[in-house]
Amino acid sequence: MLVITCPYCQEAREEEEFSYAGEAYIARPAVPEEADDATWGDYVFHRKNPRGWHWEQWQHVAGCRKVFAVKRHTVTYEIAGSWTLADGKALYLKEQA
Amino acid sequence: MSGYRIHRPGERINRQKPVSFQFDNVQYKAFSGDTLASALLANGVRLIGRSFKYGRPRGIVGFGAEEPNALIQLETGAHTVPDLKATQVELYQGLLAGSTTGYPSLDFDLKGLLGKFGRFMPPGFYYKTFMEPVKAWPVYEKYIRKAAGYGHAPVLPDPESYDHLHHHIDVLVVGGGAAGLWAATLAGRAGLKTLLVDEQAEMGGWLLTERRSRIDGLSGMDWVSQRLAELASLPNVSVLPRTTAFALHDLNLVQAVELLQDHLPLTERNAALPRQRLHKIRAHQVILASGAIERPLVFGYNDVPGVMTAAAGHSYLNRYGVAVGREVLVQTQNDAAYEAALDLAQCGVKVMLADARQGGAAAWRQQALKSAGVELLLGHGIAKVLGDKSVSGAQLVKLDGRNNQVVGSGPRLSVDTVLSSGGLTSTVHLFCHNGGRPVWNQQQLSFVCPDEGRDNIACVGAITGRWELSEALGQTHAAVAALLLGHGRGSSGNAPSVASEEVAAPRAIFRLPDGKPEGHGAKAFVDYQNDVAAADIHTAIRENYRSIEHVKRYTALGFGTDQGKLSNINGFAIAAEALGKPIAEVGTTTYRPSYTPVTFGALAGPHVGETFDVRRYTAMHASHDARKAEYEVVGQWLRPWYFPKPGEDLHAAVNRECLATRNSVGVMDASTLGKIDVKGPDAREFLNRIYSNAWSKLDPGKCRYGLMLDENGMVMDDGVTACLADDHFHMTTTTGGAARVYSWLERWHQTEWPELKVRFTTTTDHWATVAVVGPDSRQVLQKLCTDIDFDKDAFKFMDGRSGTVAGLPARVFRISFSGELAYEINVDANYGRYMWEEVMKAGAAFNITPYGTETMHVLRAEKGFIIVGQDTDGSMSPNDLAMSWAVGMKKPFSFLGKRSLLRSHTAGDGRKQLVGLLPLDPKVVLAEGAQILSNTDDTVPAAMQGHVTSSYHSAFLGRSIAMAVLKDGSKREGDTVFVWAHGKSVPAQVVSSVFVDKEGVRQHA
Amino acid sequence: MPKQGFQPFMESPLHHFKLDAEAQARRADGRIWCNELPHLGYAVLRGDTAEAGFAQLVQQVTGLALPLQAGAVSQGPQGVLMWTSPDEWLLVSHRQRLADWTAQLDGGFAAQQLFAQTVDSSGGLTLAWLGGTEHITVLRHLGVYDFESIPLGHMVSTVLGKATVQVIRLDGDGVFVLFRRSFADYVWRLLRRAAQPYGFAVCQLEARGDHPLFAQLAAPRPSLILA
Repeated sequence: MLVITCPYCQEAREEEEFSYAGEAYIARPAVPEEADDATWGDYVFHRKNPRGWHWEQWQHVAGCRKVFAVKRHTVTYEIAGSWTLADGKALYLKEQA
Repeated sequence: MSGYRIHRPGERINRQKPVSFQFDNVQYKAFSGDTLASALLANGVRLIGRSFKYGRPRGIVGFGAEEPNALIQLETGAHTVPDLKATQVELYQGLLAGSTTGYPSLDFDLKGLLGKFGRFMPPGFYYKTFMEPVKAWPVYEKYIRKAAGYGHAPVLPDPESYDHLHHHIDVLVVGGGAAGLWAATLAGRAGLKTLLVDEQAEMGGWLLTERRSRIDGLSGMDWVSQRLAELASLPNVSVLPRTTAFALHDLNLVQAVELLQDHLPLTERNAALPRQRLHKIRAHQVILASGAIERPLVFGYNDVPGVMTAAAGHSYLNRYGVAVGREVLVQTQNDAAYEAALDLAQCGVKVMLADARQGGAAAWRQQALKSAGVELLLGHGIAKVLGDKSVSGAQLVKLDGRNNQVVGSGPRLSVDTVLSSGGLTSTVHLFCHNGGRPVWNQQQLSFVCPDEGRDNIACVGAITGRWELSEALGQTHAAVAALLLGHGRGSSGNAPSVASEEVAAPRAIFRLPDGKPEGHGAKAFVDYQNDVAAADIHTAIRENYRSIEHVKRYTALGFGTDQGKLSNINGFAIAAEALGKPIAEVGTTTYRPSYTPVTFGALAGPHVGETFDVRRYTAMHASHDARKAEYEVVGQWLRPWYFPKPGEDLHAAVNRECLATRNSVGVMDASTLGKIDVKGPDAREFLNRIYSNAWSKLDPGKCRYGLMLDENGMVMDDGVTACLADDHFHMTTTTGGAARVYSWLERWHQTEWPELKVRFTTTTDHWATVAVVGPDSRQVLQKLCTDIDFDKDAFKFMDGRSGTVAGLPARVFRISFSGELAYEINVDANYGRYMWEEVMKAGAAFNITPYGTETMHVLRAEKGFIIVGQDTDGSMSPNDLAMSWAVGMKKPFSFLGKRSLLRSHTAGDGRKQLVGLLPLDPKVVLAEGAQILSNTDDTVPAAMQGHVTSSYHSAFLGRSIAMAVLKDGSKREGDTVFVWAHGKSVPAQVVSSVFVDKEGVRQHA
Repeated sequence: MPKQGFQPFMESPLHHFKLDAEAQARRADGRIWCNELPHLGYAVLRGDTAEAGFAQLVQQVTGLALPLQAGAVSQGPQGVLMWTSPDEWLLVSHRQRLADWTAQLDGGFAAQQLFAQTVDSSGGLTLAWLGGTEHITVLRHLGVYDFESIPLGHMVSTVLGKATVQVIRLDGDGVFVLFRRSFADYVWRLLRRAAQPYGFAVCQLEARGDHPLFAQLAAPRPSLILA
């Protein structure tokens, strides 16, 4: 069981208080109608599924219900940190750059 | 009589408390403090079981968790526990136990005959032999199962209770031997919240057996008492005996099971207390001090009852006052076993010691043995043990000094007991449960934990390969001091002082050679519990299994309830030799939880019976009970299924309920529907994005049915949402989808559209909802409420009103899931039962009929209304459901799922679509889930056209009806299809899925 | 409003356990003492702390400071206000007073055009008090949160068994466990089961003027609250 820090409740809590909410920072095409089938299909279905560091969303369902970003290692389960979605996004974009 | 009692100073039994017990229906006497194993040995009982595969006689080998043979059935009836190790069962007055093997009896076992032809039973014997004919396997299996296996699971419900306890601590110490006690002392003195667990009833570990060492000038057990007294005085330290840490998970989550009452007679157990407790421990720091287990050597017929580990013989003597034999041969390759020989000899047992080393142990030990009258046979090994159901002697051979070869014959000794020691194996299990790997130590001949441990796991004592007490305590002190420093704490005191002694190196030998090619001599067992012999490992390798994991699976090495605690290293070493590789390269198999077996009861804890799962009840439940409702579980809710009158079955009740509702008035508890308060200036815009239909023009006081799609364009939920004010909506969801939808709204809002000013609050539990349904429902409402105008033109279908119903503030919605004139009354749930009863009173004049979910299903199916999750399965688009009317393709924002509806696959032909089906025989109710075929003569495998999703007898129509999803169904109205179930195909006609009141006159009445 | 002779009655979520019938006076021994505080008023308060006037209005109407720290609880003689999320609080008080408060708050929010609201949850929630020497141990039997570490005057939202609950610790004497109506039967059975080794008993809860929640027991139970 993971121990995840909720950036809103500002406390490390056990995994059972949270619900996994998928990969973080997937961009929804701004004008879906203009996206071709391949682009749209990629957005709906394709996920990174990396072996290593992964930016993901967790929701504190048994707590404040907020969704936030977690950077987690999929092999070691190490958690580098958790951030509000906005704070995490800045860091995420810097990493991607 | 082989074993017998002997007084030992410091023995751990209480001679003042004799107890009697039964084993295999024979009464015996022993003492409080005995284990079942020590008690049986003291009574001279050697034959405890029959082996798994060959039915060979087997006796007790070890003295703790490592025991492979002595699996017993404890107690009878509801209290019976299978396959406990006799070495771990604490004796109590009146204990009942029996052997678990032996068919037809322990003394004469049929498999014993097979065992005589053992060389014809290689690994995979059963698979290789009973392959053909395939049909005969059940017959073979019946007899094989009877003859094989161990204990039997209880068939009665467990009368005892179990619980869980969570810990959040600084330091967990696993193991209460010298190293663990010292580690806990240091952590405790440093003020850290510390928990020490040990699987045994008494702390002390090997000090319980070994009596010569002095620590800080004290005898071992006096030092243990001193430690325990100090730990008890520290409020930040807890000590749990009888508690086995059996699993270590990520981030130092350790699970341990505490046997709270297993050691008490059944009649003395406290019913208010659990039998066992599962501890779930989160520790910042885990200190593993789980010690080491002595492994036996592998030699011919090393499984004859009376062959044990030297540590076992030593422990039975010093802990329980039981000499395991009168004439004992100790076979070793290391110094430690000399201690057992010495103690036995000093008690008057005739002892001989064979050492595989030419030079033997350190000189002082050899001298001590000689002085005690022990005959020493250096450079000797056992070729085979003599005897059948008990040891009668041993044939020795002379060993080459360097290679593991026989260089000459040895004496044939007449002994009644053989103790062997192949060295110690570190108990590395927990360290390895979540990915840690042990390292091979060629000096100590064991896989050990690395000195440095790993992140927040320290390893101290014998687990690191330090067999000598002085070294073990020195390393413990240093490791814990370093750890405390890391936590910013100092350590107090010096390392306990223990005199160090000269030790001769052990010999790297695991399988004692007998001079014959492997497989031709006497069987030499590696894994007793699974009857894996040295030759079997050679066979596996000859048959080209190379990975030790594969060898394990082919031979079953280490698969038993002992998990290879005695056999693994010997097995790896033999495999290494056969492969011609060093042991370090062969490696170990994977260590997985549990370390020792854990009962299902402990794992389930409080989550059994009435607290097994959440049962959710509505506020009106007592009213349903009073009206004798039958219930069904929907999600976690308990909902009335139907309300049978005396003598009615489900069908009779549902027919009556349906007709009453269509003809006069019915009433249903609709409280379980999910309800979400949606409010904010952007609430409307949010609804436009989350629902497929349009919300811009819904005025306050109006309701609308909404379809929720996932991004793939498939229906995920539906429900009616009422507009309370321009910025305020009362959303409803399906009963099962409430939590999912609530989370769905939050996620889209928070992740994608945080700029929208809208908030969601669950009100599912706040509102109790009574649905009043049927042509007379208006009159019922009018009797209860005077401040709402119920005129058909003032309060129209899909309108909502706030008013006072039965004296209470209420939200009333004129919505219908039956196609009838219907109202849903929502009130504060504390008044829910009151409201239900008031509706019943007001409806009495109209024969108001309560109905449950089954009638609700029939009524909605008659109208072709879908149930998400029954008529849809996550692959149905609104189009597939003929619900394009609920999709606002012209809405400005591209709502969830919209773009996917345009994908070629979603928009193309050949999709399954919702249709109605009328069986040609109106009396036939189709099976839900039945596959649909195009032709009656289709044979398996046939092209499946779809399946029946809902099917009922409609009392109102006087015939059966069904809903189905059918390939290209929207174009197939009028076709006849064939519904296949239970070996028959039934013809049915494809029709519209609206069976009743296609024009909707009734609901608009 | 004509009531046409209707006589509405309330039933709390734990009504069916008939706790009053088995309640006994609390003693100082090691038992686990427990009972429901039925029929309190609950409202979810939503708002944006960045909006000027929001916190002031809440303080002005309820007399309770808006708690801004995670898990913090504001206490006053008339009720409590708990932080549950950065834009969400739970207000607990006597039903009638709560109804007055929420009416004033919603009126104020509308007048000041604040993006804020109250949502009545009085029908959907209930509160059990759990006391006795081992009350924290009982929670440790059921939930993975480190209950020993909850500071006084704080609330934590977590899981007991398979139910989400809020544990409110106002003093060292006991805790309040808040849960949803439909889960009440399950949570109660779970507490009762976990407390069994220590001796579980239902106790009479007495009105205590100095206590924000026990104080509410003093007021007469309303037969009807018109929102």
